[in-house]
Amino acid sequence: MVRLITHNLLACHAKGCTTNNFPLAFRDVQLENREAEYNPEFLKGFMPKIEWNALVSTARELGDVSLPAECPEPGTETDEFLHALHHVLMEIHVEEGSMVCPNCQHVYRISNGIPNMLLAEHEIK
Amino acid sequence: MAKDYFIHFAQAHTEFRLPELQSISELYGFSVSLPTDPQEQNPSRPFMIVGLESEDHARLLAGRCILVRAVYELWARGTSYTQLHAMNASRKHIWESYQPGTSFKFNVSSVNHTIPQARQREVMENFSYMAFQGPIDMKNPGIIMSCFEECKSIISSLIKRNDGDFKEAFFGKLVAEGSARSLISKFDVKKRVYFGNTSMESEVSLLMANQAQAGPGKIVYDPFAGTGSMLYTSAHFGAFVFGSDIDGRTMRGKNPKSSPGVVRAAQQYGVGTRLIDCCTFDVTKNPWRCGGIMDAIVTAHLILDSPQDGVRAGAKRLGRKEGRELRDMSRAAKDGTYIPPTKPYELSELAADLVTLSRYLLKPGGRLVFFLPTVTDEYEEVDVPTCEGMTLVANSMQNFGKWGRRVCVS
Ligand SMILES: C[S@@+](CC[C@H](N)C(=O)[O-])C[C@H]1O[C@@H](n2cnc3c(N)ncnc32)[C@H](O)[C@@H]1O
Ligand SMILES: [Zn+2]
Repeated sequence: MVRLITHNLLACHAKGCTTNNFPLAFRDVQLENREAEYNPEFLKGFMPKIEWNALVSTARELGDVSLPAECPEPGTETDEFLHALHHVLMEIHVEEGSMVCPNCQHVYRISNGIPNMLLAEHEIK
Repeated sequence: MAKDYFIHFAQAHTEFRLPELQSISELYGFSVSLPTDPQEQNPSRPFMIVGLESEDHARLLAGRCILVRAVYELWARGTSYTQLHAMNASRKHIWESYQPGTSFKFNVSSVNHTIPQARQREVMENFSYMAFQGPIDMKNPGIIMSCFEECKSIISSLIKRNDGDFKEAFFGKLVAEGSARSLISKFDVKKRVYFGNTSMESEVSLLMANQAQAGPGKIVYDPFAGTGSMLYTSAHFGAFVFGSDIDGRTMRGKNPKSSPGVVRAAQQYGVGTRLIDCCTFDVTKNPWRCGGIMDAIVTAHLILDSPQDGVRAGAKRLGRKEGRELRDMSRAAKDGTYIPPTKPYELSELAADLVTLSRYLLKPGGRLVFFLPTVTDEYEEVDVPTCEGMTLVANSMQNFGKWGRRVCVS
C-alpha cells in the first residue's frame, strides 16, 4: 500500500506549510505491484480529482512512463489509457520508504505500507 | 403496477429496519411504498406489507438487507382465518395460474411459537378450495406457499401461549429468502484474524455499510478506523475503502514486522485489493489535499470507559494538556519512533467536527453514517450536530440499558 491514488490526495499539512506542499516526494522506496480490480467507471469518475502533473511525474520517478503528459478530455479516454491509469493509480504500492514535503522537508515515513502522517506538536497548525 | 409483498423481518435492531429498506431501495434505484397506518409499520411486529413494482426488487431487498428474513408475495391476510380465506378467494386471479400442475410446498408456522402438527395440517387442508393439482414436492418445489400466524405479543414467549390465538395471519408465495443475514456470521469478530476491544459487532457494521449505500466503484472512508470493522463490510459490498487512525498500532496490531492486521483481515474476507490504504493521522489535523472525494464516511465510537465515568469514547487529538511542557523533538523525529502527545477529545466536539469534515470530504449526495454512544435519558434530536448542507436522513437508537447508542446518517 500507499498507492498512487492515495499519494495524489495527500499534501503536507504542517504548520504554515501551505504552498508548494504537494506532491510529496518519494524517497528510498520499496515498490510492489499487486493486481487490483479494474473498474473503468470508477476511474472516469475519479479523474476530475486527480492532480494530473503530480501523478505523471510521480509515476515516472517510480519508473512507469505509461501515462500521457496531458490528461485526456472527459469522454475521449481509450481503453488502453484507462488500463494504464488503473495500473498507476491502483496497482503500484509503496511498501517502505518516506514521503518528503518539497516545501518544509517534513519526512512522512512509510512502514509496512502505512504512512505516518502525524505531526509533532510544534508542527500543528 | 405495484404489488403487495410481505417482508418477514428479524427481530433485531428493529430501529434500522426502515432506514435499511430505504437506503437499499435508493441504492438500486427503486421505491418501496410503506404502509400508511403507523400500526402497520410498528417495528416490534415481525411482518410488514410493502408495495413493490417488481419481483426483482423483492429479490434485491432479500439479497442485501441484513434484517430481511424473507420476502413473500401477499395473497391474503386476516385477523381470523375466515377473513383471510375470504380475501384469498376474492383474489383468485393472483394464484390461479399455479393451479394446473405447479409443484408446491406448503408451510404453516408462527413466529416465536410452534404450531402442533395436527393443527398445521388442519390449516393447510382449509386451503384445499384453491384446488392446486401439482404434486407436493418438499425438496425442489415450483413454488413455496407460507401461512404465518403472528402472535399477539412478542414478549409473550414467557407466557403460555394459547395455540391458534393470533393477532393476524399472513399468506403468500415465497419470492426470496434473505441471503444477507448469513453475513453476520461471516463477519463475526471472533472469527476474524485481527480484531481488538474496539471492534464493532458484525451485524451493526453490516447495517451501517448498507446505510452508507456501499457498492462497486464507490469510496468509503473511516477516519477512526481502529481495527477496521467498518471497512470490511463496505468492501464486501464492492466499495473501495480508506481507513485512518491517530494510533497506527490499532491498524497494525502487535507485531510491527508482519503485514498490518487490517490488511490481513481484509484478505481473509477476499477484499484485500479494495482496501486502498490506511494512514496514521489525527483527523482533526488531516492531510487530505482536497474535498469531494468520498461517497460515504462510516465510523463508530464506543464507550470504552465504565458508564459511571460519564460517556467517553476514548477519543483524543494531537496537542498537550495545559500546563505540560513541550518536549525536545529533535531526537525522536530522526529515529521515527516519536509519538506525539495527545489530549482528550470530547465526544460532542468530535461529532460536530465529523459533520463538518464530512461536508468537505463527501461528494454531493454522499452519506455520513456514524455510531455514537448516547445517554438515553438525555437523548434528544439536538444531540445530532447540524451543519448547513447536510440533512439528517435517519437516526436509529439501540437501547442499551441506561445507555443508548445511535447511528445517524447525514
Ligand atoms: C472506537 S475506536 C474505532 C473502532 C473501530 N470501528 C474498530 O473496528 O476497531 C475509535 C478509534 O478512533 C481513534 N481516534 C481517536 N481519536 C482520534 C483522532 N482525533 N483522529 C483519528 N483517530 C482517532 C482511536 O485510536 C480508536 O482506534
Ligand atoms: Zn510541508
